[in-house]
Amino acid sequence: MIKADDRSFFGELYNSRNVLQQLVAQQLILRYRRTALGYLWTLINPLLMMSVMAVVFSALFKADLKTFTVFLFAGMIPWNFFNSVVTQSGSSFINNEGLIKKIYLPKIVFPLSVAVALVIDSVLSFLALFAIIILIGGSLSWAVLFTPIAYLLLFLFALGISLIVSITTVFFRDLQHVILIAMQGLFFLTPILYQHDALVGRVGWVVGLNPVVPFIELFRAPLYMATLPSAGVIMHATVLACLAMAVGLVVFRRHEKKIVFRL
Amino acid sequence: MSSIRVEDLSIKFRIYHDRSPSLKEYFANLFKRQRPTAYSDFWAVKDVCFEITAGDRVGIIGHNGAGKSTLLKALCRVYESSDGKISVAGRIAPLLEIGAGFHPEFTGRENIYLNGAILGYSKQQLNAIEQEVITFAGLEEFIDTPVKYYSTGMYTRLAFSLATAMHPDILVLDEIFAGGDAAFMAKAKARMHDLIDKANIMIMVSHDHLLVKSLCNRVLWMDHGKLVADGPPEEIVERYLAGKLDG
Repeated sequence: MIKADDRSFFGELYNSRNVLQQLVAQQLILRYRRTALGYLWTLINPLLMMSVMAVVFSALFKADLKTFTVFLFAGMIPWNFFNSVVTQSGSSFINNEGLIKKIYLPKIVFPLSVAVALVIDSVLSFLALFAIIILIGGSLSWAVLFTPIAYLLLFLFALGISLIVSITTVFFRDLQHVILIAMQGLFFLTPILYQHDALVGRVGWVVGLNPVVPFIELFRAPLYMATLPSAGVIMHATVLACLAMAVGLVVFRRHEKKIVFRL
Repeated sequence: MSSIRVEDLSIKFRIYHDRSPSLKEYFANLFKRQRPTAYSDFWAVKDVCFEITAGDRVGIIGHNGAGKSTLLKALCRVYESSDGKISVAGRIAPLLEIGAGFHPEFTGRENIYLNGAILGYSKQQLNAIEQEVITFAGLEEFIDTPVKYYSTGMYTRLAFSLATAMHPDILVLDEIFAGGDAAFMAKAKARMHDLIDKANIMIMVSHDHLLVKSLCNRVLWMDHGKLVADGPPEEIVERYLAGKLDG
């Protein structure tokens, strides 16, 4: 039942926490219903993917497999999360069209539930991969304790962008396809497979402008270098995360009421 | 005390003749001086004013496409008004489309929690009513089966039992219904009447004029998005059936 007393944006969101929780559970549960391994697939999938990449690229770059695996894993974890949030949030309203047209819910629960479900996936696969890294002889340092903060900043950054993408996709359906291609391009322009300074020459400056880079650094410093990220990187990431959230919320609140007419 | 105030409410739909504009067309049109109007505006509800106070049992009648359901959805905040204002005091229960939030892959019990959350029930409330909902729907045996295997009757029984499990201040109904077999129909009707009795305000859309006359103490007649008459049920329904605006 709609409570008439609290209609502020965040008050409403707080009142809808039960719906949010149900939508998150729905995404986590449904994906693997009736599969024998169930939720384990969330862990197996990135694990196998990264193993293949580690073997292929360590051979290609003539790097030590063990070191390269840690290096790759530290970059892939944040990238995979960011990539799935941005690509999946585009369809968050379109998939829930039936619901949105029939009942009032604060619209932000749809993209937010996608992001929350994905961050849960990501943290779990992070833990699984981390255990494997330790097993194959990776180093463990106190700097690892920084990863929750890295996750928080990355989450805010990804959520801010997903708010914009989710709204815009309702108005321009082509965007779903554009984003898939753009994210693929962005992957190669982000230092995940290679070191930050490896890409030089005519495209080198693009990496400098790439907003995802500091977030990769946030994960790579504690996991691969076993140090805290530099203050500059943390500042850079914080500014980008706040900016993305601010722009995302403004765009979202300006257009959220038009969605129902355009689905 | 619950009340609803609707002032000059208008709701506009944009009808695209072709399809929604693609990104390419959007940018192409940005540079054109004369943009083709690919859409036309349609006012589903236009300049509607009324006030409903506690105790009112309002029936809304009118031909198909008169804007009745759009008006109800606007009261439940599904559609944002293009113009005008709606002020609602009291908790509204949207009983517009029963079973709207059901997920076919989920079991009956999981759907109680999912759909219940969508309807705005808290977790504690759901824990408290879960057993009662299952019993009322008569689904003890199948409650842990995914609802996609349910028969239509089982599905509507569950949806109805859940949607009517709580007593709202303001009850909004789009075509009162009761699915299922005769036994359930009788039970459902009794429950519906109980819900209507206990509600502070009831608003319903129906094409069943006998039902409107028996349940309502006030009738609004909508025609092409406009409110054309407002008054006691007998009189308005007679005039509507006679098909004339001026009694």
